[in-house]
Amino acid sequence: MAEFVAVSRVDDLGEGDIRAFDVLGTKIAVANVDGTFYAFDDTCTHMACSLAGGDLEETTVICPCHGSEFDITSGGVLQGPAREPVETYETRVEGGDLEVRS
Amino acid sequence: MDETFVIVGAGLAGGGAGATLRREGFNGRVILIGAEPQPPYERPPLSKEYLRGEFSFEGALVQPPDFYDENDIETRFGVRATRVDATEKVVELDGSEHVAYDKLLIATGGRNRRLPIPGLGLKGIYDLRTAADSDRIRAEIAPGRKAVVVGMGFIGSEVAASLRQMGVEVVVLDRNRVPLSRVRGEDVGRVIEGIHRDHSTTMIFEDRVATFEGAGRVERVTTVRRRSIECDFVVVGLGTEPVTDLLAGTGAEIHNGVVVDEYLRTGVEGIYAAGDVANHYHPVFERKIRVEHWQNALKQGPAAARNMLNKDEPYDEIPWFWSDQYEHNLQYAGFHTEWDELVVRGSMEERNFVAFYRKDKRVLAAVAVNRGKDLRRSMPLIKAQEPVDAAKLCDLEVDLRSLASVAGTR
Repeated sequence: MAEFVAVSRVDDLGEGDIRAFDVLGTKIAVANVDGTFYAFDDTCTHMACSLAGGDLEETTVICPCHGSEFDITSGGVLQGPAREPVETYETRVEGGDLEVRS
Repeated sequence: MDETFVIVGAGLAGGGAGATLRREGFNGRVILIGAEPQPPYERPPLSKEYLRGEFSFEGALVQPPDFYDENDIETRFGVRATRVDATEKVVELDGSEHVAYDKLLIATGGRNRRLPIPGLGLKGIYDLRTAADSDRIRAEIAPGRKAVVVGMGFIGSEVAASLRQMGVEVVVLDRNRVPLSRVRGEDVGRVIEGIHRDHSTTMIFEDRVATFEGAGRVERVTTVRRRSIECDFVVVGLGTEPVTDLLAGTGAEIHNGVVVDEYLRTGVEGIYAAGDVANHYHPVFERKIRVEHWQNALKQGPAAARNMLNKDEPYDEIPWFWSDQYEHNLQYAGFHTEWDELVVRGSMEERNFVAFYRKDKRVLAAVAVNRGKDLRRSMPLIKAQEPVDAAKLCDLEVDLRSLASVAGTR
């Protein structure tokens, strides 16, 4: 099982924010939805745009390039053109650090 | 007695309508008729990833091939619906067979406009609408070959970019002063022109084809301004026209497509239209509009299906589309034919902006280059159709969503 890796201080990712981090070579986006952190592949499965460059609507992330929508709690596609889900990852907060298990 | 719903046109709109009828629990017969031999597929990749060979055809299918059998949707692919008899409620197929319907959805889309240009029948001249068209163009692609692209609308621009990316030498010919200028305006057109210039596409504006010449196969294009351009093949992209022939004589109003109300109903009982072919009344813009883009087909097919099931849902989606050219992402939302002010947020020079087409201080539409997040945030502003402060639209410190919520609560 992969280890948790610290990506940021927890205070640096405010509510409604979404940011991409390089976690052991994988681009992973982390979103803060009302204080809950969700981590998922930053790379859209449609045309590889960065999902962290898009907007959040509750627990839905919208790709800024072509409008694909993913449920960030499961990674599932809610709206095309993407067809394949994104991977999701566990998060935790440890000593003020935001950590992601890749 | 179960009802029979017939869908003519097995593209994104027609395919989506069939799937929606089943998803909404319709138990009658569903018959999906399409002129092309394949099940419904998405067309956006045909000028881009599919044309460049990066994408398989299966990746463009709207549903897996066995979806239709599994969902008891009868399919007639490779069959053309030639006539509708609205009195007898039958659709004629290929001039002979007849299929009876209780309700009928017309989702026949468009066909490419073909101008009567001498030499158009020569080999090596293509246009692009179908996967088969894209296959034929791809077979011509090889580094160092020379292509002329006629028309620099979205299809012409995307094909030109894909050809360049595959090493083809490209000359584009367009009657306007800049690409896309007819609707997008010259400022935006110049940005697109710059992108193509950076990739060494030769662009000729304010000129048009006089003749295609060659011995059996196209060898050169001559223009009305007396240019002569040697080439190995030609791609023509001069727009489309809606396919409405089959409704002639039914009493359905045909004017710039099949005229429908906001419920996607024609004036003829039981006949609906959706997708590229539908000139639909749009409650936000308070006029009829016809939209030839992916999202309209994606959303309008299912909306028509729900209304065939008497859901009475007005269709009020804000039209939206994207165009990827090289590494650049262009998006447009809304609908405009004229504007009195173009308000730019960001930098056209840096190719990172959203430009708002404003009329009477309201945002009718917006176009973005490499600024998709802001484009999406503009949609509520367009939907609200209320005056918006230009200074706030331009101010990068202002979150566009805050303007939309103000407009929306007024």
